[in-house]
Amino acid sequence: MKLQILGTGCPKCKKLAENTEAAAKALGIEYTLEKVTDLSAIMQFGVMMTPALAVDGQVKVVGKVPDPEAIKTFLR
Amino acid sequence: MAGCCGGNSAPAKNASCCGSDKNKTVLIYACSGGANVAEISDRAARELMRSGAGTMFCLAGLGAGIPGMIQTSKDADVNLVIDGCPMDCARKVFEKAGVTSFAYVKVTDLGIEKKKGVPCTQEQVDRVVAKCREVLAAQK
Repeated sequence: MKLQILGTGCPKCKKLAENTEAAAKALGIEYTLEKVTDLSAIMQFGVMMTPALAVDGQVKVVGKVPDPEAIKTFLR
Repeated sequence: MAGCCGGNSAPAKNASCCGSDKNKTVLIYACSGGANVAEISDRAARELMRSGAGTMFCLAGLGAGIPGMIQTSKDADVNLVIDGCPMDCARKVFEKAGVTSFAYVKVTDLGIEKKKGVPCTQEQVDRVVAKCREVLAAQK
């Protein structure tokens, strides 16, 4: 599973990455985590607020930092 | 354009960054069609954006079904939709995209007649901006 954190590297982006990794590990999912920091690349996803999470290229959450339990629902 | 993460880095284009804790994310959409009322909707949306009331967002992107844009709208704290006329195109775009949460203003509901080939006036734009501010205030 390809997990992408869209954001420029602010504390919220880092927290979203942490929570996403925690969710993926809790579910025992094989994953790669990529941090997309270039704003032009971020906007190619149609995302206008960061941080955001894309799972296998599909944007699942925008402008928010869900907790790991909520993120699990995007990974199942 | 929003500053990013405290304003130390400049975001490209119109992306806003890091979902501020202090301010709600307000996205503004205009039908931006061909008639005078559509021009009014567009100008009102841009005036609202420039005054800091929110960020204008692309209604066409929702209409095209761009997933990231639809998700952006779903996750916004407030979506303000400005339709020009009773065709309700902007509202229907939202409904087709499955974005159910939005505040709504229709230009023709404010006593402005729909006409083709007639330029809008600043007074008309001001009237719509004022109504939008009233609607936005009720969302907070």
